[in-house]
Amino acid sequence: MRLIPDSDERDLASMARGLLAKECRPGERVSEGLWKALSDTGILGLGVPVDYCGSAGALDDVGVFCAEAGRALCPTLVHSTLLATFAINTFGTEAQRERWLPPLTSGVLRATTALWNPRDAAVVMPVLRAESGAVGWRVGGAADFVLDADLADVIVVPASVPSGKAMGFVVALDDPSVTLEPLAMMGGYQAFRVTFDNAAADPAATFDTEALRRVGNAWVSLLSLDLVGVGEGVLARTVEYTTLRHQFGRPIASFQAAQHLVANMHIALSAARLAARSGIFWIAKGRLAIRETAVARMQAATAAKLITLDAHQLHGGMGYVTETDLHLWSERARVLSTLGGGADVAAGWLEDEMGLTGRGTECQPTA
Amino acid sequence: MGRPSVTPAQRYGADVDFELDSAQQAWLSEVREFLAQNVTDELRAEIADHGLEYPDGEVVAFRRKVGAKGWFGLNWPAEYGGLGLGAVYQHLLMREFEYWGVPGPDLTVTSVAPMIMRHGTEQNKSEFLPPIARGELTCAVGYSEPDAGTDLASLRTRAVRDGDEWVITGSKIWNSGAQRATHEWLCVRTDPDAPRHRGISVIMVPIDRPGIEIRPLYAWSGYRTNEVFFSDVRVPATNLIGELNHGWAYITGALDLERGALTNAGDLHRALSDLVALACQPRRDGTVPADNASFRRRLARAEADVEVALLMGYEASSLLDSGVIPTVEVSVEKIFTSELRQRIADLALDLLGPDGLLAHRTADAPADGYFERLYRVAPLMRFGGGTNEVLRDVIAQRGHGMPSYGR
Repeated sequence: MRLIPDSDERDLASMARGLLAKECRPGERVSEGLWKALSDTGILGLGVPVDYCGSAGALDDVGVFCAEAGRALCPTLVHSTLLATFAINTFGTEAQRERWLPPLTSGVLRATTALWNPRDAAVVMPVLRAESGAVGWRVGGAADFVLDADLADVIVVPASVPSGKAMGFVVALDDPSVTLEPLAMMGGYQAFRVTFDNAAADPAATFDTEALRRVGNAWVSLLSLDLVGVGEGVLARTVEYTTLRHQFGRPIASFQAAQHLVANMHIALSAARLAARSGIFWIAKGRLAIRETAVARMQAATAAKLITLDAHQLHGGMGYVTETDLHLWSERARVLSTLGGGADVAAGWLEDEMGLTGRGTECQPTA
Repeated sequence: MGRPSVTPAQRYGADVDFELDSAQQAWLSEVREFLAQNVTDELRAEIADHGLEYPDGEVVAFRRKVGAKGWFGLNWPAEYGGLGLGAVYQHLLMREFEYWGVPGPDLTVTSVAPMIMRHGTEQNKSEFLPPIARGELTCAVGYSEPDAGTDLASLRTRAVRDGDEWVITGSKIWNSGAQRATHEWLCVRTDPDAPRHRGISVIMVPIDRPGIEIRPLYAWSGYRTNEVFFSDVRVPATNLIGELNHGWAYITGALDLERGALTNAGDLHRALSDLVALACQPRRDGTVPADNASFRRRLARAEADVEVALLMGYEASSLLDSGVIPTVEVSVEKIFTSELRQRIADLALDLLGPDGLLAHRTADAPADGYFERLYRVAPLMRFGGGTNEVLRDVIAQRGHGMPSYGR
């Protein structure tokens, strides 16, 4: 038990922070420079054994990176690629790992995923179906709200096979039988409805319900850490602004009302950081960690929105004009705290864990 | 690819650890086993009968057993008769004691003794630490005065040197436990001409000295505290703790430790577990609270916050183990747990409906009226031990360097 990061972790964070500060530019959804740097430093291989061109370690190392990604507004294609890598590394056969991990960790392939219901990451019934024929596996159906499908080379999806089970597949997105309909979201985040018309598919993992829940929990916890990074970055720049901005002849940071908003941001952030780190720690240890993931999402989603909206309040008009860029973090907070399920959806996961649901008499009106 | 054979990402990695190691796990089991054996129905009954007062009887006998284990000095260095265990161990013990609702190591052990070790004279250490470790010396903490509460630095109780003695005059309020303590850890003004934070000292005052009068004050929760009056009370000059006029640093250090000790979430963990169980049972009219979606949602939110409160306890004790007094972190923890305690009490009474209004220790009250009383207990933790408003200032100013506004 030791909740204070040591030098190894601070070194990883500071390496990632330096790299992202140099390579990430607002509005840029991918760049060759960023991808090369992520590959050269081994970040794309975090949590993957060295045998598969990885950097060793575990998913909590990816978590350290994600907190920096939120601070730097790192493109979400990176997160999707890291998650696809985690899914194949954890649930692929040796041959599947051999085939897919080296190109993913070395930056040759960029990936997105459609592994659960984008409204609720606990809903993991595959929406696609797959059949094996003379020319191999083919996938049919459509997946909604797939992030960055226009930039990714491949997509990792589960599909139900004729036996009734689910299997994981990799599908090339440039296959002519795959079509993309854009869903342009808030803040320039780009998702797509992806339709597979019997597209060629390569088996990449064995996905039962528990495996998909675990990958879903990994995504939710990693994005919760990203939201922690968003909160840390915004809190720091807000404090700086209130210290520089003078009204009534004194810095607005000297007013108790401003200090108490900052204190509340700090408290919410402390809660979110501990909860999100705990979630990723236990998933990295091999647990399903539904409880910890639910708590992480509830705390991080709440904190990131509180912090960004109160940051707007403390910046006033100076943060409302787009040239200060504050809205970029606010939009990220809103988008990432929604995908996979927000605080209310996560509270439902926790209710299940607490044994409060499934009692047979649901949702009666208040007595 | 042009990658180095060993990448930076391979050399560095996450190293935060949320898992108790085997020694900590064994310690937790030992503490739980001790509590299972020694928290008797008689002890529970006495605690419930007397609210938060512990006169001679079961509680005193229980404290003796805790003392015999050496647990009052568990985190003290061996040279002062302690077990030399770390802050995580102390936190685990305090949290389990809170979970069981029994008195653990008190402020004398958790905040007074560490300040004596850190700042006391050699005579202070040899005179006061051994009896504290044995549980024979217990302190009431004399900080606040009728006109110096949150603004503690304006305190006026005076100590004047007269030969080999200090002569003390003034009064203290919210002096909890004075009726059963052996000493006052008393904060006094020793230099009225110095700037207000600089003329303060701490003196250890035996409570049986002539000139001390203790007057009870009863709080909304049923809790007894006191007002204590000092009229020309004389104590030996050597009872001054550490250096003259350095007291402000000692009491703020002690307050940080006090907050850390006061704010573990063991009682909240227990309260919410009990409340979830109650929520699944029929009320007097036969309806079940957990059938209501909004109560389920509020219970889940409280659970998510209790989980975090438990982690905050681990974080603060990890920091203490690394040699830091976690001023900002315990301020966060104190605010978070005290406001959560109020939310849980309010949720409980909403969820139980009229059943929840049945008063503490009355017939048919759910959980013996624990939540009815918790509603009255919880306000104390929000303003006590440093008001949450002042602590929010501390987070902004100490945590983020925002300027003082002249408080």
